[in-house]
Amino acid sequence: MFSFRNPISRAFATLALLLAVFAVLFPFVWVFMESIKPASLGGRPDLWVFSPTWENWNEVTLNSDVPFNILNSFAIALVTVLISLLCGAPAAYAFSRFRGFESARYSILAAEMMPPAILILPFFLVLYHLKLIDSQIGVIAAHLTFVLPVVTWFLIGFFDEVPRDLENQAMIDGYTRFQAFYKVILPAVRPGLGAAGVFGFVLSWNDLFYALLLTGNESRTLPVAIAGYWTFRGVELGKMAVAILIAVIPVLALSHSIQKHLIRGIGGGAVKY
Amino acid sequence: MSYVRLEKLRKSFGSLDILHGIDLEIARSEFLVLLGPSGCGKSTSLRMLAGLETVSSGRIFIDGRDVTGLEPRERDIAMVFQNYALYPTMTVGQNIGFGLKAKKMPADQIKKKVDEAAKLLNLSHLLDRKPGALSGGQQQRVAIGRAIVRQPKVFLFDEPLSNLDAKLRVEMRAEILRLHNELQATTIYVTHDQEEAMTMADRIVVMKDGLIEQVGTPEDIYFRPATRMVAGFIGSPAMNFIAGTGAGPCRIDSALGALKVDAAVREGQAVEIGIRPDNVTLAQSGYDGDNPVVPMTVKLVELLGPRAIVSLEHASGQAITAVVPYADISSFRTGSQVDIMLAVEAMHVFPVS
Amino acid sequence: MQLKYKFILPLALLLSAVMLYPLAFSGWLAFHEYRLTRLDDVHFVGFENFVLIATDPSFLNAMGNTLIFVLGAVSLELVIGLSLALLLQKLNILRNFSRSILLAPMFVTPIAVGLMFRFLLNAELGVIPHYLSKIGITVDWFGPDLALFSLILIDVWQWTPFMLLMFLAGLEALPKTPYEAARVDGAGPWLTFSRITLPMLRSVIVVALIIRALDAFKVFEYVFAITRGGPGNSTETIMYYIYQTGFRFFRMGEAAAAAIMLITVILVLVVLLVKFSQAEEARK
Ligand SMILES: Nc1ncnc2c1ncn2[C@@H]1O[C@H](COP(=O)(O)OP(=O)(O)OP(=O)(O)O)[C@@H](O)[C@H]1O
Ligand SMILES: [Mg+2]
Repeated sequence: MFSFRNPISRAFATLALLLAVFAVLFPFVWVFMESIKPASLGGRPDLWVFSPTWENWNEVTLNSDVPFNILNSFAIALVTVLISLLCGAPAAYAFSRFRGFESARYSILAAEMMPPAILILPFFLVLYHLKLIDSQIGVIAAHLTFVLPVVTWFLIGFFDEVPRDLENQAMIDGYTRFQAFYKVILPAVRPGLGAAGVFGFVLSWNDLFYALLLTGNESRTLPVAIAGYWTFRGVELGKMAVAILIAVIPVLALSHSIQKHLIRGIGGGAVKY
Repeated sequence: MSYVRLEKLRKSFGSLDILHGIDLEIARSEFLVLLGPSGCGKSTSLRMLAGLETVSSGRIFIDGRDVTGLEPRERDIAMVFQNYALYPTMTVGQNIGFGLKAKKMPADQIKKKVDEAAKLLNLSHLLDRKPGALSGGQQQRVAIGRAIVRQPKVFLFDEPLSNLDAKLRVEMRAEILRLHNELQATTIYVTHDQEEAMTMADRIVVMKDGLIEQVGTPEDIYFRPATRMVAGFIGSPAMNFIAGTGAGPCRIDSALGALKVDAAVREGQAVEIGIRPDNVTLAQSGYDGDNPVVPMTVKLVELLGPRAIVSLEHASGQAITAVVPYADISSFRTGSQVDIMLAVEAMHVFPVS
Repeated sequence: MQLKYKFILPLALLLSAVMLYPLAFSGWLAFHEYRLTRLDDVHFVGFENFVLIATDPSFLNAMGNTLIFVLGAVSLELVIGLSLALLLQKLNILRNFSRSILLAPMFVTPIAVGLMFRFLLNAELGVIPHYLSKIGITVDWFGPDLALFSLILIDVWQWTPFMLLMFLAGLEALPKTPYEAARVDGAGPWLTFSRITLPMLRSVIVVALIIRALDAFKVFEYVFAITRGGPGNSTETIMYYIYQTGFRFFRMGEAAAAAIMLITVILVLVVLLVKFSQAEEARK
């Protein structure tokens, strides 16, 4: 494979890469700057030097609903992911091991790709009739529509990599197939379970569409709350910046930890490199 | 009295027939080796015995009990897999004790048994390590330890040594034999390495295309091969085969001329004569006895230290391989003519179907 | 019951409840007049909803916008993602550092991305227009001409990392020997890339394209955060259209019909793409 031996092309390549890194980082940096600008200076695009203040952060974390929204988002994502792992892991194992599930495997992928537009209407109507609009349960059910398939698909690739002889051995050692599954195979795919869980958590945490339509004051999630900072009055900008950062920082940290497992998970045992 | 018995065992995957009826009896404490070319169904047979594959038809008995429909865990067997199949998240000690835990044995007793097994296998200092931190040979010993600690009725091995390098393979071979002598456990061992089979087996089962070709002691298999396939499969370099037709009770016409053999052949019957390269020798001048002496051209000499493999060709085009001692090597120059002698008592005659 | 079905039972039950049932319900909705404001007057209307939607200029406009958005965003992401992957693979300095930074945007809450860029690109408050105007460029990023393109750029910012992730893994898994052979044969970088790298990456590219395209069809957050479909209806995407029809005008039946038409379009496109790539494969 060619590499940049020529110092000039090497310099250009490095420059291009740095440019990309800059393009990714700059929005975060600027939003952070905005979050520590005094409210009186909010929204001044030419301002780089000022005396920073934490007033926006204090305001948002102490005097707003944002902590409550975080709690909602967190609880919904956590429950969604736990249910998904509980139902998805045995299924992914079955898809990986048993013959006759080849097409079922791909129907999981199809479910994962289903546009929310077609599911939201029935969800809304059913929850409306059940008086469950503005409840966490409704949002969890809605999030299961994409987190459950994603988590299942994600895990198939990990189970595919565990040698079948491992459960054969356990069955010979005196365990049932199900015991072999949870005593031997599940521990062997622990990194995959973690990565799938984190991935599903991030997806649920990031969702706006379902949460927007199915939550209200009692169950509003963070993305919906952020969307509420839609007005661009100068005083609000700093708070919006804080809310954005609060939503973004945990997912960035989480997803960084699963980077090396992502490929296998997204490929789901279908992409053979 | 047979301890393990396979009765008319058949297996098909969908419409594909893999095993066409295996009948086999294995005695208590016997070390039986399944040998055969790749894809002949050795692993499938073993896995059916273990309960990992369903049986299409036929029955399996272990210690007098029909286990055909039983789950692996109900058969009281142990198996060592080619890739060891160690539980990656457990320590060596936990790996070895895992089968005992399934039997709900108390922890202190498990520990005692694990320690014993570990001592037997020189693993005591490794008990707290994870399998990932072990060498291939050590992993192999853990896999064996896991098998012996349960004192099962039957040990199954599926090519357990094929992932090891040559030197370690020989060492582990000796170790498995030592354990077998010590524990006197009934063992069924799959390999496609004939040297392994020869050195380890009490009896060898040679398989081909889902059928048993021959069952016998290593001597039987080597010196008295029942079929042309067994004769050709066992021994290295492979046996020479010379096509011919029967020309009388003990005479065969072949490319190398009329040969006298020690077997009854019908006149006009198409046969093949097999003779191992070791039984092809330099003809001593002035001596022939009953053994035919044939002139040959030397094509190629491959030196193997104390011995050499010589490829020879007869004027008729018939090729013959000989293994000759180093002392004789000066007689075999590439391109030169030599007279070789074929030992009649070592000839095998196989009918051609 | 056979053991293998026990393993998938929980998933099957749960998915039936949260997906199959709603899907069937949506199918039913699409053939009924169902207005949230007139719940006492729900009745069967046959294909009327489909006819209404198919002849609704806003639906066609939204579909067109969505197709432009998907096509523009995904192709840009493909090109940039592949270039960055090649760059990253060849520059050994800064690799891990830039890799983890470059992958970050795909995890960021999309609504936050939308608001962030709405703010950054805002004509008065935005830092980007501010500095662009300093060098004499004044563009109205969210004006009628550029708004859809700006949304595409935002999607590129967020989702190029996904392509990068796929291609980096793809490149890493490529065997080394063809490259050594190519070097011995004296093939230049372009030839090496087009004749060796690209063909070997093709299955990864197809998968990445399909995943990304299907995802891009669902674009909603940027529209919601920034333009709300405007100016005019120049950025109204299909998701936003369905959202409006169902939840602002409460015409559930029509919204369901639109959603079914969306799925049909997507299915047709996926089948075409798969057929096309298989035909390509066979041609080789
Ligand atoms: N699950 C299966 N489905 C279909 N065919 C199979 C399956 N498992 C094995 N086979 C076929 O059965 C035949 C016998 O396989 P088996 O693994 O028993 O061979 P083997 O003698 O162990 O060979 P080797 O020495 O290569 O391990 C092979 O032709 C194989 O392709
Ligand atoms: Mg085998």
